[in-house]
Amino acid sequence: MNIILIIVIVVNIIIALLFSLGAAPILVWVERRVAGFIQDRLGPNRCNIAGFRLGGLIQSFADMLKLVFKEDFRAGAIKEKFVFSIAPVIVFASAFLSYMVMPFADDLVIGSQTFVMQGLPINLGVLWFLAFAGLSIYGIILGGWASNNKYSLLGSIRAGAQVISYEASMTLALISLLITYGSINLVDIVNFQGKLLFGFIPAWGVVMQPLAAIIFIVTAFAEANRTPFDIAEGESEIVGGYHTEYSAMKFGLFFVGEYVAMSASSALIVTLFFGGYNLPWLGTATLKEHFSAIMWIIVVALPLLSFLFGRWIVKNNVWPKTDDIRNKETKWLLRMMVLMNMVIIAILAYFLYSGIGVTGTNIAVAVIQVATFAIKLLLMNFVFVWVRWTLPRFRYDQLQNLGWKVLLPLSIANIFLTALVVVGFGV
Amino acid sequence: MINVIFLILSLFALMGAIGMIMFSNTMHSALSFIVTVMALAGLYALLNASFLFMVQIIIYAGAIITLMLFIIMFLNIREEHAPKEPNKYINMLVVAIVLTPIDYLLFEAFLRMPHIGDFTTKIKNFGDIKMLGDKLFRGWLLPFETISILLLVALIGSIVLARKRERK
Repeated sequence: MNIILIIVIVVNIIIALLFSLGAAPILVWVERRVAGFIQDRLGPNRCNIAGFRLGGLIQSFADMLKLVFKEDFRAGAIKEKFVFSIAPVIVFASAFLSYMVMPFADDLVIGSQTFVMQGLPINLGVLWFLAFAGLSIYGIILGGWASNNKYSLLGSIRAGAQVISYEASMTLALISLLITYGSINLVDIVNFQGKLLFGFIPAWGVVMQPLAAIIFIVTAFAEANRTPFDIAEGESEIVGGYHTEYSAMKFGLFFVGEYVAMSASSALIVTLFFGGYNLPWLGTATLKEHFSAIMWIIVVALPLLSFLFGRWIVKNNVWPKTDDIRNKETKWLLRMMVLMNMVIIAILAYFLYSGIGVTGTNIAVAVIQVATFAIKLLLMNFVFVWVRWTLPRFRYDQLQNLGWKVLLPLSIANIFLTALVVVGFGV
Repeated sequence: MINVIFLILSLFALMGAIGMIMFSNTMHSALSFIVTVMALAGLYALLNASFLFMVQIIIYAGAIITLMLFIIMFLNIREEHAPKEPNKYINMLVVAIVLTPIDYLLFEAFLRMPHIGDFTTKIKNFGDIKMLGDKLFRGWLLPFETISILLLVALIGSIVLARKRERK
């Protein structure tokens, strides 16, 4: 155990926590603002701390605080108290654990040591995700059953049937992918996607396996219990489904667990189909080779982008009265942005002047890859939100028909096709 | 350390198994079966069989017991629906006594195994998915395919039987 090892492990765990737990309030905010945008209204934008609204982001934190301090009410009819209490914990914990194998960056080399950039450095990859994503259904089933309420029970039964039917297609879609990549290790999978197809197309999963991508994304929606597959909570039919009887932080755990599960699904989709931490056309080796050029690009592009973002803030958040509390936010945000620009450019200029060294390049490349992963993750999460507010809910029989009669045969056909191509052409 | 983990996991596996036959509520039985399955998965992980560990969680915990819970909830089985078992504990005791010779045989066999208490693996990548795949598809291809055909037959057979009953 040396000091570098401990630092890298702690950093990895912090990044994993930020991407899963830390993302939850941001995702709630994105969801509500995008919902507002799609339905032609504003969404939450009033909640503030001393004028700081951050576009309504403070509302999410206020909601979380509210859930923590609410009364934890439990109806007298609930007899299975232990099961009732542990159900939200199962949902939350399994969503959280399934996140831990996502690689944020390529293997980091410092000196003679190599580090795997995952929350848990194990090479089980996809299997780990499948295992713990499958366990989260227990929380929903047990929560609905222990609630001793017909609506809750109906919600649980629906959730159980849905997850069992869609997990089959999900796993089969994954198998055709694994035939293509030849590995279950997510780092290997992402590095495979860093290559180029025919010399100019990035070999992303979505290009190599478009059918598997569609099947996997659809089943991931079902697995995360998101609209159009949210029949488990269908509030217009069965009140709140499995979480009807829950209140306060027990409900909060279900709520946050749903967002963590959604984020984990997005992370896996990004990793499997959209190149993971790779920038298109820039694999890890290319990045390392041309790193000074990339630093120059950042030095030029960062102030430009910041200027445009600042103009956008000024356009949207400057109010006629000079003592308006909201003008203070704009002033401070602009100052912070200028400061951040100055610090980053100073650091980059120092490295450009003095040279960055091999270890420095490796760490900087890892930072760029983590940022790339974060942006892709946010975009994929946006797709989840976008679909939720665009499509209506499936009816139960439509859902089962889609799962068993469309997705399952398609995914099996895809396995045969992939195997034929791989064996026939020896790719 | 590894012995302590082993003991804890075995204890959970045993308690789950005992709970499964002791509980009169079907749901509680299924829940304690989950405990056994998860503890067994932990034991596989302890033995370095990482692929078996994941498969145990995915197939048994993730699919089979979910299906069981689903059926139990779907039929809404309550405690009063279950058949009465007046001599349950006596029966259990009798079975336990009858099985003692077999237990003894297993214990003897276990004691004669080589490398008892040695958790280090002799082969690199033991229990890995690549290693297992190589062994299955190079050395044991025929048995593997025979078993998969057997499973397919069972699958189709169950569907055929279920359909027949529906028509009557």
